[in-house]
Amino acid sequence: MITYDDVGGVHIKYLYHCRRQLWLYLRGIRPEHLNAAVQSGEAVHDTSYTRNTPVDLGAAKLDFVDGSHWVHEVKSSSRPSPADEAQGRHYCHRLHRVGIEAKGAVLHYPKTRRTQKFPYTEQAAVQAEADVEAVLAVAEAPASPDRLARSGCRGCSFTDYCWTE
Amino acid sequence: MPAAARTYWLTSPCRIRRKDESLIIERDNAANVHIPVTDVRDIVACAETDLNTAVISLLNRHRVNVHFLSYYGDYAGSLLTSDTSTSGETVAAQARTAGDPHASVAIARSIVDACAFNVRRVVDRKLLARPYTVLRESIEDSTSQAQLMGAEGTFRRSAWEVIDTKLPDWLQLNGRSRRPPRNAGNAFISYVNGITYARVLTAVRLTPLHSGIAFLHGTMERQRHSLVLDLSEMFKPLMAERLLLRMASRNQLKEHHFDRDTNQAMLSDTGRKLVVQTIRDEFAVTVTHRTLARNVAYDELLYLDALALTRHCLEGTPYKPFRIWW
Ligand code: SF4
Repeated sequence: MITYDDVGGVHIKYLYHCRRQLWLYLRGIRPEHLNAAVQSGEAVHDTSYTRNTPVDLGAAKLDFVDGSHWVHEVKSSSRPSPADEAQGRHYCHRLHRVGIEAKGAVLHYPKTRRTQKFPYTEQAAVQAEADVEAVLAVAEAPASPDRLARSGCRGCSFTDYCWTE
Repeated sequence: MPAAARTYWLTSPCRIRRKDESLIIERDNAANVHIPVTDVRDIVACAETDLNTAVISLLNRHRVNVHFLSYYGDYAGSLLTSDTSTSGETVAAQARTAGDPHASVAIARSIVDACAFNVRRVVDRKLLARPYTVLRESIEDSTSQAQLMGAEGTFRRSAWEVIDTKLPDWLQLNGRSRRPPRNAGNAFISYVNGITYARVLTAVRLTPLHSGIAFLHGTMERQRHSLVLDLSEMFKPLMAERLLLRMASRNQLKEHHFDRDTNQAMLSDTGRKLVVQTIRDEFAVTVTHRTLARNVAYDELLYLDALALTRHCLEGTPYKPFRIWW
């Protein structure tokens, strides 16, 4: 299915949002390219912060890493979430694996003009490692995880798949 | 298929050219139309269309499929992008389901049942009550796809007869004939079925399912996209039979909409434009979905049904093919 090095930011985000979503995503259920919310997410990337070149780490794509080794991520949502934080942490983890001493993640929310800083501590490193292992465990599960309570699915781009009967 | 991108229907002969990231549609006696490729979900070419390699590579990059309907009204083929959404795990699950005789006959049964249910719903509930009961009994007894197809054929024949009683003489079917359609009614049905097939193909290509692994229609049929044949069954009555009866009763279809000679018929240019326009509007009609609790367009129903089948293969949740519920 996937290996340690294939685990990317999207996997981490889905792990935090809904394990079922992650399990489905890994099996090719990707309705998100049809979803208008995702399309506007891409538009944010196209229009803001264009002066920086994205860094491509294979599975993980970061928006940019600044001169003092902070990872910057641009988010299309207006509110920070644990999933955003986990994603930033994951990028730092990957950078460390290729020998770049990332100091932490800075999450940008252009909609609300907020930024949040998450230093990459030793504890964060342990958590980042555990997150990757959790993704691999979900990937290998033979049966799909249950749906969330309907209210938890609000705004999820997998709703059509999960809730059509 | 909720998206900002749209389906483009080409109803007059044209050439598609490429300019940077845009498509230019050139027609005789009409101004060129520029369309950003990101605005396009797919294209249905209902009239003679020329395109070149530059266009194809742009369409390919943006995963835009083009469906061609032949001049004579049949589905002629599609230009499908090389990049698909199929996923190994899902296709394997689909193949396991199709390979398990018990599981695949169960799906085939429910498809035939749903199709007949929809035919009865749009044609005549009362007159088709008896044939439908008979069909359901034969479905119960059927243990193979061939038997199911036979039972469906019998039901369909009764339905065609009932339809004829509601049509003016010149539009009557006198039995179903294809390739070539023998009369105007058949030409209409063939054309709408061709478009429905093309729309279902687009829908299936958005799911991780393989379009060639089917449950009712033989996977080994000459037809490459046999899964699309399966999934089209339930939607053909919603489009073809329903629109034929409606357009006939509203007197919208006229003899000049067809070119006919003794043994075959096809839509004329004006007829084709009228029919395409009608179908296009029809696919955009919305209904309130019962479990999603929002409005969905008919077009989207095809996609949702393909997703439900995906879910059945991947997770074993019951698959209830589309039935008209409104
Ligand atoms: S719709 Fe609900 S259950 Fe399905 S993936 Fe989204 S959050 Fe999870």
